[in-house]
Amino acid sequence: MAGSRLEKFGTVFTRVRDLMRSGVIKLSEKPIWYDVYKAFPPKRTPLYVKPHTRPSTKKQETVPEIFYREDEVRVKFYEQYGPGPWPLDLFKSNFVSTCQRFVDKYSELKSQRKLDDSALFEETGKALLAEGIVLRRRGAPTVSGEPKDPVLGLKLTDMLAQQQSDSADSDKTVEHTPHTQTP
Amino acid sequence: MATRALAKGFLGLRLSRVVPIRFFCGGHQYATAAPVHSAQPENDIVTEKILNEPLENPDFFRVSELFSLKDLFDARVHLGHKKGCRHRLMEPYLYGCRLDQDIIDLDQTVEHLQQALNFTAHIAYRGGIILFVSRRRQFSHLVECTAKDCGEYAHARYWQGGLLTNAPVQYGPGVRLPDLIIFLSTLNNVFQQHVGIRDAAKLNIPTVGVVDSNCNPSLVTYPVPGNDDTPAAMELYCRLFKMTINRAKDKRRRMERIYSLLAPSTQSS
Repeated sequence: MAGSRLEKFGTVFTRVRDLMRSGVIKLSEKPIWYDVYKAFPPKRTPLYVKPHTRPSTKKQETVPEIFYREDEVRVKFYEQYGPGPWPLDLFKSNFVSTCQRFVDKYSELKSQRKLDDSALFEETGKALLAEGIVLRRRGAPTVSGEPKDPVLGLKLTDMLAQQQSDSADSDKTVEHTPHTQTP
Repeated sequence: MATRALAKGFLGLRLSRVVPIRFFCGGHQYATAAPVHSAQPENDIVTEKILNEPLENPDFFRVSELFSLKDLFDARVHLGHKKGCRHRLMEPYLYGCRLDQDIIDLDQTVEHLQQALNFTAHIAYRGGIILFVSRRRQFSHLVECTAKDCGEYAHARYWQGGLLTNAPVQYGPGVRLPDLIIFLSTLNNVFQQHVGIRDAAKLNIPTVGVVDSNCNPSLVTYPVPGNDDTPAAMELYCRLFKMTINRAKDKRRRMERIYSLLAPSTQSS
């Protein structure tokens, strides 16, 4: 079967068309796809494009960067609070992350009241707290309701000092053994 | 040339899977061995009608109903590679760049995919051989299963240099080459353009290819800009191609049955 192996000149269609016009390919040997291509040509003719080898041509930024207005809020949120208490579940397409809830609340409050950015930020934090999401500031100690367990605050020197004072009193008081020392 | 020795089905015996050979009752009109035109002129007219009728309709096989933009988005088709991997020729198909990751324009993808599926359907309707090619090892099984389900061929293994260009020597004389090659990933394992694209262009075989943001779409006849790395996206493409091909073949069988029922009445009249 005759053909033309020059893939860098013209498209598949033009080559076959010209071969048929010149009689190299008979009508009986017409490829199946010829009529279909003629009826439904592609958007861009599949011509071979030579690769640019010269590095001197300056690259123009034709692909725009995608940024949204809410990105400013998101930047501040991530700077202050870190990634948020819950991990992102990407398996669900309708999943709303903590950051997204924050942004939604922020835009809601912004449309309702007239406050400046930092005040709005605080307000959104409080609003989310009211809904039950605890936002932990990055770097700062955890803000929790209940007081810390006193055992965690024990220091070894204090414990030794207490033991010595206790052993001094042990003659007077019988059952005053200190609690087990935390190693 | 008339040998129906579809040796393509046994591509690289030691490498790829055997795909069932299927025969078309409609017959391939263009592989004429001994011309029998004078005996049945009506048959030819009927086949001409069967073949030309779908070309008049812009969407004869209703492929636009098979998918929507939301389906593409859910399958993460819009996600491209990073900005540094971007191919210069893919820039017109990109919507933008979000934090250095390229986002493919799904409006364009919808149009391109529609054209590609429509072309595939027409080729399958006319009894063309379709070859699925993908060098991604992650999806080789999926590609081969897809090809088996629609009764077409797949080559998801190492592409030997002379597979298409040296086919008569490798597979014997009179091999019938594919009429359409569908690339589910246009890159090979070393991130260079797959040899098959250039070979298909050399042998005047049209190609349909899923081009990611780091691929070269220039030689692909019907490129489809989209993600080729995510399993969800690949499953979507395989499903769409399988459905179009099956639809096209069913349609062909139905048309032939209709015309064969009509034919006796035309002969008598």
